[in-house]
Amino acid sequence: MLTILELLRQLMERQALRRVEDGTVTDEQAERLGYTLMRLEERMGELLDEFGLDPADLNIDLGPLGPLLDS
Amino acid sequence: MSEDRTSEDTGVWTYAITEDGCLSGPDGDVDLSWLTGVGEAKVRTTSACGLTVLVSDVSLAEFGEAALRENLENLDWLDEVAREHHYVIDAAARLFPLLPVRLATVYSGDDAVWAALSQREGQLRDALHRVGGRVEWGVKAYAAPDAAGGTGEDAERAPALAIADDGADQEPKPPGGAGLAYLRRRRAQLTSARESTMAAVHGAQAVHAELTAKAIGTRLHPPQSAQLSGARQPMLLNAAYLLDTEGSVAFTAAVAGIATAHPELRVELTGPWPPYSFAGEDDDGR
Repeated sequence: MLTILELLRQLMERQALRRVEDGTVTDEQAERLGYTLMRLEERMGELLDEFGLDPADLNIDLGPLGPLLDS
Repeated sequence: MSEDRTSEDTGVWTYAITEDGCLSGPDGDVDLSWLTGVGEAKVRTTSACGLTVLVSDVSLAEFGEAALRENLENLDWLDEVAREHHYVIDAAARLFPLLPVRLATVYSGDDAVWAALSQREGQLRDALHRVGGRVEWGVKAYAAPDAAGGTGEDAERAPALAIADDGADQEPKPPGGAGLAYLRRRRAQLTSARESTMAAVHGAQAVHAELTAKAIGTRLHPPQSAQLSGARQPMLLNAAYLLDTEGSVAFTAAVAGIATAHPELRVELTGPWPPYSFAGEDDDGR
């Protein structure tokens, strides 16, 4: 469950970074995106702490496809 | 020296193949009577076509086809058997040139071993000439922990903030530019992680090219998963290099030099091993 949340968070983050780079969002939107993502990351950290997990524990080894999550 | 074993419940475990001539020296035959192998059974020899195989008898209840398949799943069992197998090959390789046999190669009896020998005599002889008397060095390279930017530990986390369930729209207004700063920081982290991964991958390729130039033969194995390697960082190179005993000193010195020259990698050297990776029948030697 946490793995899926973390995967979604990373995907949203990638998407946000790409859109900011493309310039398809205003500065204000970018600021809000960044702030949201930052809080998501913080919340994820808290959840991990609560369950005594390490970020690496969330990852799933997909064998030849490599790890599911980036970090 | 070989005697016919036809007993229904024993099989023959094979360790290594050598040429008949290698076992007899000016002082008589090489003495192997002290050598024990898998299950502490005595190692003996059996010969056909001018080739001699080091074998020992094993119970088919433990090492027969079905039992073996089951036991190979048991890591403790496998660990012990692999040690015993390696011990025989390692000890014998110090006495004469040989071709290691893959772990868990079991025949129903000596006649089955002879049949296998005569069937592949040419290939076995070629392989023996290529690797006999040579050693294998293993080199693994991982991305160095500090080179791999965001990998593993993310940047320090700001003090906890509760998050509203449905996210962005209902703001407590963020303090000036924190969101943008976060995005910029994450982008920099991701970019530097990507760059250091690329640098490590290129480094591993360069290391392999350099070592290949110094070795008689090379084998690339698939990189091991983190679970198997026990390392947090991804394995980027898992290679074996074939060398003469005399070439080994220069080779290991070269590995040490290369490790220093590539701070983006953590390089691991193991060996000298019997030339396990080069013993496959269908190998071309390079």
